[in-house]
Amino acid sequence: MIVDIALQTGPLFLAEAKPSLGAGAVVRFEGRVRGEEKGAAIEALDYEAYEPMARQQMEKIARELGALHPCLAVRVRHRVGRVPVDEAAILVEIAAKHRAEAFAFLAEFMDRLKQDVPIWKAAPKP
Amino acid sequence: MTAALRLLVFGPVRAQVGADRLEVACPDSASQEELWSRLLELHPGLESFRSTVRLARDGEFLPPDALLHPGEEIALIPPVSGG
Repeated sequence: MIVDIALQTGPLFLAEAKPSLGAGAVVRFEGRVRGEEKGAAIEALDYEAYEPMARQQMEKIARELGALHPCLAVRVRHRVGRVPVDEAAILVEIAAKHRAEAFAFLAEFMDRLKQDVPIWKAAPKP
Repeated sequence: MTAALRLLVFGPVRAQVGADRLEVACPDSASQEELWSRLLELHPGLESFRSTVRLARDGEFLPPDALLHPGEEIALIPPVSGG
């Protein structure tokens, strides 16, 4: 399984995956900043990461999930710094032979990321 | 003998202590309880974080019984909120 994970500043995008992996299913998830946080209207969120550990943990989670839900490739981009409302804080793309393992991988990856990957968000100070 | 543990702090813990790194003197093979006792002497405002902050070393969360050694870099990981 190809695992390609990065943290970056600025808007997120994923280039078209090449070469063809023989995937019958490609599932993409984009987690966006909503216009409210803890009941208060916001214009952006600031994301902070302990980057070496965040990459290490995402890689570890991906490898563990790959054993449970065999997929062909996973690509993850998580943004750090200020992320305006409606922009993506995370992009995940899973390629697999069939959709079932791709959906399962994605759902569990996001659950575990929200438990164990050292990234924090905070509303910017006025 | 005591020497310093280097602590990395993030998110709300960093906001509380006003720095992203701390040094705390600890004996060799210190327990996590010992670290917290010394840390709270220096930064009593961290008491409310004690029950939710996990410690990590070399990019991995530490089990509660892992011992700490002078010169190590230990990260204090408050509840995460990425994604």
